[in-house]
Formats: sequence, C-alpha cells, structure tokens
Amino acid sequence: MGVVLSNIVAIYRKELQGYFASPLAYLVAGVFWLLSGFFFVWILVEIIQQVALADLQGQQIGVPVPPVDVPYEFLRSFLYVMGWLVLFVLPILSMGLYSEERKRGTLELLATSPLTNWAVAVGKLLGVLTFFTVMVLPLLLYEAIAFSAASSPVPPGVPLLGHAGLILLAAAVLSLGMFISSLTESSIVAAFLTFGLILALWLMDLAAKWIGGSFGDALGHLSLLKHYNNLVQGVVDTSSLILFASYIILGLFLTAQSIDALRFQRS
Amino acid sequence: MKNINWKYIKYLFLLGPFLTMAGLVAGFVSNSWGAVPVGLIIAGIIILGLWLLFVSTAPDSFWGKRSTQAGTNALAATLSMLVILGLINFLGVRRALRVDLTENQLFTLAPQSQRVVANLQQPVKIWVFESNPNPEARQLLENYRQYGSQFNFEFVDPQLRPNLAQKFNVQLPGEVYIESGTRRKLIQTLNQEQRENLSETQVTNAIAQITGDRVGKVYFLQGHGERPLTAVQGGLSQAISNLGEKNYTAEPLNLAKTPTIPEDATVVAIAGPKKALFAGEVKALNDYLKRGGSLLVMVDPNVNPGLDSLLKEWGVKLDNRLAVDLSGRQLGLGPAIIMVTRYGQHPITKDFGEGRSFYPLARPVQTTSIVGIQETPLLITNNESWAESDPENDQLEFNPQSDRQGPLTLGVALSRGYAPQSASVPSPSPTGSPSPTASPTASPSPTGSPSPSPSPTASPSPTGSPSPSPSPTASPSPTGSPSPSPSPTASPTASPSPTASPTASPSPTASPTASPTNPENTSQKPVESRLVVVGNSDFATDGLFEQQLNGDVFLNSISWLSKQDEQTLSIRPKEIKDRRLNLSQQKANLVGWMAVLIMPLIGFATAGFVWWLRR
Repeated sequence: MGVVLSNIVAIYRKELQGYFASPLAYLVAGVFWLLSGFFFVWILVEIIQQVALADLQGQQIGVPVPPVDVPYEFLRSFLYVMGWLVLFVLPILSMGLYSEERKRGTLELLATSPLTNWAVAVGKLLGVLTFFTVMVLPLLLYEAIAFSAASSPVPPGVPLLGHAGLILLAAAVLSLGMFISSLTESSIVAAFLTFGLILALWLMDLAAKWIGGSFGDALGHLSLLKHYNNLVQGVVDTSSLILFASYIILGLFLTAQSIDALRFQRS
Repeated sequence: MKNINWKYIKYLFLLGPFLTMAGLVAGFVSNSWGAVPVGLIIAGIIILGLWLLFVSTAPDSFWGKRSTQAGTNALAATLSMLVILGLINFLGVRRALRVDLTENQLFTLAPQSQRVVANLQQPVKIWVFESNPNPEARQLLENYRQYGSQFNFEFVDPQLRPNLAQKFNVQLPGEVYIESGTRRKLIQTLNQEQRENLSETQVTNAIAQITGDRVGKVYFLQGHGERPLTAVQGGLSQAISNLGEKNYTAEPLNLAKTPTIPEDATVVAIAGPKKALFAGEVKALNDYLKRGGSLLVMVDPNVNPGLDSLLKEWGVKLDNRLAVDLSGRQLGLGPAIIMVTRYGQHPITKDFGEGRSFYPLARPVQTTSIVGIQETPLLITNNESWAESDPENDQLEFNPQSDRQGPLTLGVALSRGYAPQSASVPSPSPTGSPSPTASPTASPSPTGSPSPSPSPTASPSPTGSPSPSPSPTASPSPTGSPSPSPSPTASPTASPSPTASPTASPSPTASPTASPTNPENTSQKPVESRLVVVGNSDFATDGLFEQQLNGDVFLNSISWLSKQDEQTLSIRPKEIKDRRLNLSQQKANLVGWMAVLIMPLIGFATAGFVWWLRR
C-alpha cells in the first residue's frame, strides 16, 4: 500500500513539475483568468446596477423592494457561467495527459513499468486537478474582496461549497478526458472528443426533461450540470457527490483498462 | 450428430440481442417498465451470458487467442464496473441525504410540508401544465418527492398532450393540478410573465386537503318538501356529487327522527322547503347556530318556511315579492329568470368577476344591519329589475306603491362572532384587564421580590414597573391552555393550572391567580357562526347546477360555511436575506484591474518567459 502511495506521489510530482515548466499550461491559465475575470466584473457590475436601479425605483414609488441577496445571486450567476467556461478549458487540460506520452513513445515505458496503471492514472489526475485548483484560486480572492463590502457579512459556506463543486465537476470531466486521451495519439482529437462527451453530459439534462418519466429521471441524474447547480445553490446532496465520485472512478478505471489493453496489443 | 446440433443451437443465441432490443423498445414505446419489457430484457441478457460462457469454453477458436481473451476480460470488467456504479448511484438516489447550507434554508421544505408528504397514505400526483416551467418549481416538487415515495409530479406541455389537458379541463397555461385517485383540484395558476413561482403553502395545503379525511359533513334538511338529493326532477344529485369531489359527505337530515342537529355537522342546508318548519326544528337550528354552526338557507318565492324568527335575529328578511327583470329578454330569458352579473366582495364570490349565474323565480332578501353581525350581499340584480308584488298580473310593470326598485339582493352571507359561553369580555386580546391581576403574582419569579401579597389587590398604577416583565412569563400559559378549549364546560381553575405552572413560574401562588383570567380571554376562541341566505333554490338543482357559475355559487357557499379557510396550514414563505454589495471605488478598481488585467498578464508573461527559457 505504501509503495502504491509513493508511486502515486512520484507521478503526481512529475506531472506538476511538467505543468509549471510548460508554456502551454501558463497560456491556458492566462486565457482562463482573462475570460473568468471579464465575466466576474461584467456580472458583478450588472447585478449591482440592476439592484441599485430597483432600489431607486422602490424609493421613488414608495413600494418596498423584495429582498435580494446580491452576493448570493452574483455567486450563482458567476458559477453558472464558470460551469460553461470550464467546458472549453478542461478538454485542453486533459488532452495531453496520455496522448503526449504516446506521441513521445514513453507510454510503453509507463505501461510496462512496475507501477500499476491505477497509480499512474490517479497521479496524473491529481496533478492536473491541482493545476486547475490553482487556476480557480484567484477567483476566490476576487470574491473575498468583493464580498467584504457586503452590507452584512457573507457566511463562507455557500461560496466555498460552490467552488468545491466547480473542482469536483472538473475532476469528473478531467477523469473522463484522461481516458479519451489514452485512446489516441493526437491531442487535438482527444480535446475534441472530450469536448463532445462533456457537451453530451451537459445537455443530458435537457434531453431528460424532454423524455420525462422514470427513464428521463434516470438520464437526468447523469447530467453533470444539474448536480453542479445543486452544489452552487448551496445544497449538498449525497447523491450528487456519489455521482461525481462515480464519474471520477469510471474515468480512472477506463484509463487503467485502456493502458492494460495496450500491453497485449503490442506484444 | 452432436456437432450438427451445436451448429444450429449457435443461432439460437441470436435471440439474446433480439430479446433485449425487443424489451427496450417495448419499454420505451409503452413508457412503462412492467413485467413484459423487463422480462424480455432479462431473458435476453441471460441468453447473452450463456453465449459468452459457451464461446469462452470452446477451445481453439478465435476466442481462444490471448489478445481476445484479454479483450473480453476487459469488457467484462468494464461492464461489471458500470453495473456496480449504476447500482451505487441507484441506492444513492434512493437514500439521498440533503444538507442545505443556504441561510434561512431556502431549499428545504417547511416541517409541516415534510410531515404532510411523509404521511401520505395514497399516491398523490401534481401536474403542471406548462411548456416552459421555471426551474424553481421543479426543484420545489423534487424536494417534496424526496420526503415521500407516494408523491409524484409531472410537467406537461398542454399543447403536446391536449387529451390530458382536456381531462383536467385546463384553461390557461401554467395551471397546476393535484390528483389523488379520482379527485382533481386546481392549486395555482403560474403567471408566465411575472415568473410566478409555485407556492409551497398552496401545494402543501392542497396535498393535505386532497388526502385528508372528509373535510366536512353537509346535512340537507328533509321532511318539508325540500329538494331531494337523488337524481330526480328538481333534485340536487349534481350538487351532491360535486360536493363529494371536494371531500364533503352529504347526508339527509330529518329532524322528526333526530331532534337535534348532529354534532358532526359542518354545514346544515335547507334547500327549498315547501312547508313551514316546526318551532322545535327552528329552535334546534338556532341552538346549532349559537354553538358555531353554519346554515345555508335557500327559499323559493311563495313559500313560508317558518324561519322568520331565526332570520330576524340575523337581520335578514325574506321578501314575499318576486324578483323580475325585463332586461334579460334580449337573451331570451323570461322576466322571472334573473341573471346575476354583479357580486359582492366576499370569499364566496371573489373570483366571479362579471360572470353569470341564473335564478329562475327568485325572491329578494332584505337585510338590516345588526351590531356584531357582518353581512355581505352576494348576488345583486340589475338596476332595471324590481320586486313585483303582483306577478299574476298579465302586464308586468313597475308599480312604485307596492313594488321595490332594484338593484335587489338575492343572496347574502352573514357571519357572527359569539363570545364563549362563560366569557363576559369578548375581546380576545390578553393585554386588557388581566394584566394587573396576572402581573403581580408572576413578578416574584423573575425579580425575586419578596412582597407578592400586597400587589394583587393593588391598583394597576403602582405595578407599572413590574408589568412589562411578567407579560413574557405570563404569555406561555395561554399557549399551553388552548388544549382544553374545545370543551366549553371545562373548569378554568383545574385544567390549565398544571400546564401553566411549569412554564410561568415555580411559585405555586402564581398559577391559580393567573389561570382564571386565561380561559376567559384566550383559551376559549370566540365561536363564529355563519349563514348564507339565497332567495332561490332552483339554481342548484340538476341541469341548472352546470349553468355558468351556478355550481360555483353553491359550492363556494358550502366551502365558506364549512370554515375551510381557517384550517389551512400556515407556512411562512422563505425569507431571502436582504443583502447588498456596497463596493467602494477603491475596492471596485482593485478587483476590476486584478481580474481583467493583472492575473491574465501574469499568466501570459510567465508563459512567454518559460517559452523563452526553453528555446
């Protein structure tokens, strides 16, 4: 057990070093920060102005304005947009996980090394997830500054839960993306396939509502976006957590299987 | 021989995928996963499994090769992994646990709602006829479903499923219905433009009502030529069946057999008597009203029901003249058929607008206001109508000497609050007279002052300072005491004292002095009796009952009389925390520059730097 753990840590460290020495990773982070920062400012200004306008109108007419929790509303809208933004960012992060190794010819080394495929996959996933978490951290900083100006203090539970949801969502998507990346030599193909798969999982919710009935419910349960929105709203549902965990485990398992199959194909 | 057999048997395995597909298709087409589709799928999977077993045991085939073996192993492992994950998720959904981290528990049902749904005995389904429902409505209903397996809901586009919409008689998009067994009820109409949300209060109350036991018993007085409850000419069978759909039980009542009104009567209806009631019967009705009963009186013209004395106490008088309206001629109505389009402001008629209801041969009802009685005219005739004293005359015209010019009132709703029998002060507020007597005896416990004895008899003015402190300590006792309130004969000194003494104060002297004041004012809720008088009984009979609003006039009257409005569960709507972001210019600039410029620049600059280093 200790050996497996140290193997995982070794892979994890190697992956992280790879990210922090890669210009592409910084480029992706830069683009992500630009887009997310733009959405952050835009949504914040929009909501504050809307509410201020409503307050002003209410004062003029003398009608009490219905209560609005501005930080909460902002958080929901912003994280909803983030859910769509990562749809484009995550495939780029996951595309190179195995296809790069395949291209460089190091995949055989990995497949035949004494490390179990499981350990390799877990290490890689943890590495890329850590990188994504680093990308998300600045958002928390912006929010901390903005929410410090709230008229009554904002309890940190819901914002933290929302970002934890974002990271969980990313973990599920990256895990599946890792599997796809293990199938092909081309990073671009992996990115496109991952994008398609996530889009399908996103839109599952719509399809489920269209179908209806118990089958629709079951299909709707598979939708990542639905569970993500649950968490963003501040509701922890164990079934959502189980679903995210299932996607992560499925991705890891399929990756390990796919690398395992490689041994026999080449031999 | 054996080989040949195997050759053909192999093809039998094709049944596996075939049966599975057939099962799936059958399931999807019929949209029900009963025994047949599931059986087909299981049979198909079993055959597929047998096939796998067969090919894996057969040697020296394509399947015997190592790579294929590894491939099948991987496939089997993957399939079992999917099945395991599926099962875990299935169980996870079934036994889901939710924690609501939002302030004020925005996404958690009120405890009353949870209890109502959890205690459902029969299936209840909510139908939302809306093509584009807002997600909050779905979320609320999903919340309900979490607490009870008997609860279900469905969103329906009324345009796509017109048959279903017709079954529920959907008029507008956004209507929400509740269905349980054969009973259906409109809960709410969601306004599309205002993004109106489904109200938890209304949904919970609707569930409680539709599944609850019969909400009330309506007794129809018989024995004086009243309208029969059966489906005969001039009968009330449609009204009775409609009452049944609204959870009422209707029963005939003959006061000749049972001299008093039964205890379980929610409403007593006198529908079109032809002969006068006996004095004893009127007295029974009067007693019934005085103990908080509700009476519906529908009397046709040219009949003396003998209720004058009873009605007089309420300030109601049945006019002996006949209501006549010539303006209905354009619509082909005779002069004695009154069409009402004006209604009073009352819970019974609040949704009627300018709808029509018809009253052939009606008599006006006159009212004089009496202190303590709240009266609202329900049905008001045209300005051109009048009360005709001589309807036999061929020439119908308004005769100012004997006739009365409209508008006439054909129906009136009255309510009267009876003070509880033992009480002398009808005001329910406990802040009145009891405060001087309650305050000194209760004060020892919070303040610990050693002189309780002089203050009880003292005037209220010296006890000015202690009076605010006892009021919170005295108030718990009335909340404990309402339990004996249904029985009016309960002795006030005995029953409330054990409930009041532990909450009010530890001193035993406080409880007996505080308790006599409580039942007088708070524990005994004033009884309210209600009365609806309509100068016509035809409008509710079979045939006419279905016309326009006639049925609603009758049913709403019964539901108001049964005081259903009081039984609703009060659920406080979820309060959203009112919070603003008052960003100072400084902070706004900081966040803005950091988000849009600094962080991206850091990313791009590092990317360039690393690239330059690696070059």
